[in-house]
Amino acid sequence: MSSRTFDIGPAEAFPIGEPRRVAVNGRALAVVRQPNAIYAARDVCPHQGARLSDGHATGTALPCLPGEEIVFGKIGEILVCPWHGWEYDLRTGRSLIDPEKTRIRTYPARIENGRALVEM
Amino acid sequence: MKTQAVIDADAHNYINSIADLLPYMSERWQTYIRSSGMQMPPVSHLPKLYELAARRDAWPPGGGKPGSDPDFMREQLLDAWNIDAAVLNPLVGVSGIRNLDLANAAMRAVNEWVEAVWLSADERWHASITVNAYDAEASAAEVRRAAQNRRFNQVLLLVRSHAPYGRREFRPIFEAAADMDIPVGIHFGGGTGNPITAAGWPSYYIEDHTGMTQAFEAQLISLVCEGVFQSIPSTRVCLIEGGFAWLPALMWRLDKNYRGLRSEVPWLTEFPSEIIRRHFAATTQPMEEPEDPAYLLDIFKMLDCDQFLLFATDYPHWDFDAPDKAIPSVVPDDLRQKIMRGNALKFYEFQNL
Repeated sequence: MSSRTFDIGPAEAFPIGEPRRVAVNGRALAVVRQPNAIYAARDVCPHQGARLSDGHATGTALPCLPGEEIVFGKIGEILVCPWHGWEYDLRTGRSLIDPEKTRIRTYPARIENGRALVEM
Repeated sequence: MKTQAVIDADAHNYINSIADLLPYMSERWQTYIRSSGMQMPPVSHLPKLYELAARRDAWPPGGGKPGSDPDFMREQLLDAWNIDAAVLNPLVGVSGIRNLDLANAAMRAVNEWVEAVWLSADERWHASITVNAYDAEASAAEVRRAAQNRRFNQVLLLVRSHAPYGRREFRPIFEAAADMDIPVGIHFGGGTGNPITAAGWPSYYIEDHTGMTQAFEAQLISLVCEGVFQSIPSTRVCLIEGGFAWLPALMWRLDKNYRGLRSEVPWLTEFPSEIIRRHFAATTQPMEEPEDPAYLLDIFKMLDCDQFLLFATDYPHWDFDAPDKAIPSVVPDDLRQKIMRGNALKFYEFQNL
């Protein structure tokens, strides 16, 4: 089935780094705009159903060995569930702890002519 | 009736008193101990109800404490039960000696006593290396020295410590064990002044004994979360005399918390339960004894690792597990054989079997 492009509003309706919930084509999406990207994902954590749009977009501690400096990376690319703290990579929808089995559906999104667009 | 040859992953040899260690100590410390009348500090705090926590029939007829006579112990344990390898864990309160130099001298003396009195007495005896938990650097050096004799096939820590063993202060001990290619055993007991339960001091030995699993949980959680197995990937740990039925629930809980708290410990890049199954073993004694023995099969299934369990008697203690009775008949033969012998063969890599 081919995807359709939906206009979900003006870009400025999505403040940088603050997740927003929008209903598109019968689905609830969590949308996060960052300075150079905009992401859209199903707004349901597969764990216990929390709205991911109530969580926060942030970075994460990157893997390292004990005693090494802990680097905070993937800044702006991680969406954290507001209830139990599960971390999702907004670019792929994959969770950081169990990327094969625990993931959220993501949808291609972009900003064009000041409008936020999502393909579903 | 003779049973099939088995391996005993936990038996105890005892000094009769600190005098047994004097031949292995310098003139300075011999004199110090004699003139002060010092005795070895205990490794537990509450009266154990049975003197020295021993089976009544384990007192050697020739005198001395249970576990102190190599000939009697050979007869009552190795020969009686067809045990062709046993790991001796001498429970001597080295870490309870506050003078670090004396504690380190006692540490080395215990290991030299084990080698001279026990390892030379019968080739079926193998032993853990006693260390001083308060001095990890000295302990690491002692591990590298003692393990030159390959019948020292484990490092011995007591589960009730002054701090959990995953903390970096203990890392030299684990590095030394890995360098010598031997596991670290964490055994029931210990006591450093910390309350012996996480809720404070209990009144009775039955509480002490049952609550020991708390300390095992704390050590396991610490070793995993502090990243010992990422820093030293060849580390193997045996949980000795701590039971095992609590492990599935702990793994579930730790995995669940990992999902939300991973970023605090970013060296963990896989579920804690996977690390536990790869790096840990546990001895069976004291076997959990559910009202329906078949429940144990469910626990084994939850552990999902048939290499995990090593049979142990805990001789000469009162809660000794008999090799022919401890593992209930519902356990299938192939798994029983692994528990009674095969798993220990792999885990300890006995040089002479």
